Amino acid sequence: MAALQRVVQSSVTTAGSSYAAAAAAACKAVLGSSAAVSNALCGEQVVSDQFPVGLKVLVVDDDTTCLRIVEQMLRRCLYHGLFRACFFLSTDFIANFALLFSYELYLALFVGQNCVTTCSQATAALKLLREKKGCFDVILSDVHMPDMDGYKLLEHVGLEMDLPVIMMSADGRTSAVMKGIRHGACDYLIKPIREEELKNIWQHVIRKKRNENKDFEQSGSFEDNDRSKRVNEDAEYASSVIEDTEGLKSQKKRSNYKEEDDGELDNDDPSTSKKPRVVWSVELHQQFVSAVNQLGLDKAVPKRILELMNVPGLTRENVASHLQKFRLYLKRLSGGVPQQQSGISSTFCGSMESNAKLSSLGRLDIQALAASGQIPPQTLAALHAELLGRPAGNLVPTMDQPALLHASLQGPKRVPIEHGLAFGQTLVKGQSNIFKQFPQPIFSVDDVSSRYGAWPSNSIGTVGPSNSVEGVTNQNSHLLMDILQQHRQQQQKQPQLPQPSMLPEPSRSINVQPSCLVVPSHTSASFQAGSPASVNQSCSFNRSSVIDYSILSPQSGNSAFHGGHILNGDVKTTGIACGYSAPGSSSTLSSCSLNADNTTSRQNPTATYGDTRQLPGIGPNIADIQGSYGAKSGEILDQGPLRNLGFVNKGTRIPSRFAVDEFEPPMNNSNHGKVHSESNGNPVKQEPSMDCSDNAKVGAPVFLQFPSNDLMSVFTK
Amino acid sequence: MDAISQWRKQWFDYIQYLRQEKGFLDDQFVQLKKLQDENSPDFVVEVISLFFQDSEKLLNNMANSFEQEVVDFKQIDAHVHQFKGSSASIGAMRIKNVCVTFKNYCEAQNMDGCLRCLQQLQQECSVLKNKLEKLLNLERQILAAGGSIPVLE
Repeated sequence: MAALQRVVQSSVTTAGSSYAAAAAAACKAVLGSSAAVSNALCGEQVVSDQFPVGLKVLVVDDDTTCLRIVEQMLRRCLYHGLFRACFFLSTDFIANFALLFSYELYLALFVGQNCVTTCSQATAALKLLREKKGCFDVILSDVHMPDMDGYKLLEHVGLEMDLPVIMMSADGRTSAVMKGIRHGACDYLIKPIREEELKNIWQHVIRKKRNENKDFEQSGSFEDNDRSKRVNEDAEYASSVIEDTEGLKSQKKRSNYKEEDDGELDNDDPSTSKKPRVVWSVELHQQFVSAVNQLGLDKAVPKRILELMNVPGLTRENVASHLQKFRLYLKRLSGGVPQQQSGISSTFCGSMESNAKLSSLGRLDIQALAASGQIPPQTLAALHAELLGRPAGNLVPTMDQPALLHASLQGPKRVPIEHGLAFGQTLVKGQSNIFKQFPQPIFSVDDVSSRYGAWPSNSIGTVGPSNSVEGVTNQNSHLLMDILQQHRQQQQKQPQLPQPSMLPEPSRSINVQPSCLVVPSHTSASFQAGSPASVNQSCSFNRSSVIDYSILSPQSGNSAFHGGHILNGDVKTTGIACGYSAPGSSSTLSSCSLNADNTTSRQNPTATYGDTRQLPGIGPNIADIQGSYGAKSGEILDQGPLRNLGFVNKGTRIPSRFAVDEFEPPMNNSNHGKVHSESNGNPVKQEPSMDCSDNAKVGAPVFLQFPSNDLMSVFTK
Repeated sequence: MDAISQWRKQWFDYIQYLRQEKGFLDDQFVQLKKLQDENSPDFVVEVISLFFQDSEKLLNNMANSFEQEVVDFKQIDAHVHQFKGSSASIGAMRIKNVCVTFKNYCEAQNMDGCLRCLQQLQQECSVLKNKLEKLLNLERQILAAGGSIPVLE
């Protein structure tokens, strides 16, 4: 980390120590006022020729030659007309300062103050940015740097400090530039960089500020197309669950669109352009994310988010712009950008990835896919699920909606559950994006299957490919599946409705179905493979899962109760055994296989056989979600378990619907839960440092509150 | 005075020679010179020495990479990329052009081509270094005598 930083900012101490403090304080004031003034300027469409003066620029490049040149260029740009501009920006301040001290001191401190900071290491730059939040207006970054990819830095910046980033590279290929755009660069300069180009960079600062306030509507509408599909899917399920009616799809769609529109309209507020800028701290962002997760991304309207966040001083416009960025960010993530396998660029992405890693199945597949094509992990996961027989989106949303309902009904106690569920929704989003990207599901499916086959450690490979193929043939059209599922869910829902107290549980159980199916195949496969190591690992993880359950009980009455219920079933014993001892694991395996048989046999009549089989693919996904969520939020314990339960419950639900006996589903669930934990556990164990470190690193800014230790402890127990 | 104007002419001719006839330098170098101002009177010298420091490092790294049992073309490509960026930034056109070729060979994993390019780079660097030293010496001479460097457009 020891950076070769060259912080050009001349030390304030040169001006005399007694003035240093005042100067430091004043410096902030100047910055603040300049920001305010710039806002005002935007509003009035008046921009001084000298505006760039005072702009704080951070230049990051491992090439010291370029660094020096760019620095020099910037300094020249920024020096020119300094006096006038400063005067223009903060006349009052200058006057006061000159009265208090001297005009010369003012000039020395502020006008002469270097506005260019250079950094030859991306990691050092990021550190600097984190330490000195608000000290920079714009960042110039090289693309190719040994310690950190410029794109990665870009994403970090985009999420953590939301500054305009301009990429620089000698690589002028369209693909490279496109990559920069996808990652959110506001400009891409091809080396050699010319002074003329740098003279203009201030526009990005202004534009960003304007965009934050005004462009929301635009981008929103821009996004509409992409979102529409997602919205349709999610919304349909949501509404079906919520309203419990079999309305026409079109109606639902419309209502959804309306919602969207409202949201957009809400954002479209002219007064926004003059609001002061809000710094989105880690905590604030986290609040935001959890609020969005609670609402569900597609339902998240700034107003509601604001209500949920309940932060004094925060305006709806602030939230709106942040939401927009957040959406764009997620979109970018699913846009097939990241190629790196581990700890991909952004914090969010990183967390997602780590999730992916958490589940053994998911991890391998995802990585392989990500490597082969440019498929972002979570997208992949979703894709997986979908292709493999069940649209992941369907699963998750259905789950989410009821959960949300419950949550709202039940109040604070339910919070953890909400979290987990809501998070699932974000995943869904990614998935919907997938639709766009992969018009030919079959193709991707093949890919997946092949991956499965290629998978070395687990014997799933053999099972996997064939299953997936079946799934493909069966499910060429997602729509059909969706519809089917919807019907199912609705039907299921109806029986549950009569029992209000039961609601939370049943809703959760819905999702489980796939996982249940998955579990059996997974475990059996691993067993066949005869890899004791894997079994052991799973055991240890099972243990954690058990712990989770216990934890769950205190937090949410209903969920806990259910969990206990499930455990009490036949499965319970096996599950516990697994959790605690390796020998137990063998028993679990057997139970799992049994369950698998049961489920398959049950579902065969419903002609969903292929689906069930392929569900294993879903299993990993779910696991991923859980893992990711846990990793992200310190409440790992709560959420992780909740999630498991939720999934389990869901699983039970579906089976129950199809199955004759209600008893078996619980078994499945418990197994299922274990399996999830297993899948989580394996990856974690295998590469604990990787996952955790990734989280810590990537997610640090956003998720500082949750030490990776927690995660580790949970999993290692 | 006579000597100064003579040196000035010499300097001007020489830089034209470097720019146009031999293509050692391009407009970016002119830009570089324009960046030098009273706040940083040694800017060009500073940048050029930075460049040659870096290039030496990069050339060594590349040479080392080629000596490895398994040649990591990706790594070499990264070095070349940086070289390309910095040479372009100071306007060392010929070096930049060699880098472009070099990169192509790296992508094709053409060992012979790469080695040839590496040699070429080493050669070009030393040549350019000599030429620039000569140019800068002339400048120093002019300035020491109280003259000013002609402004390039």
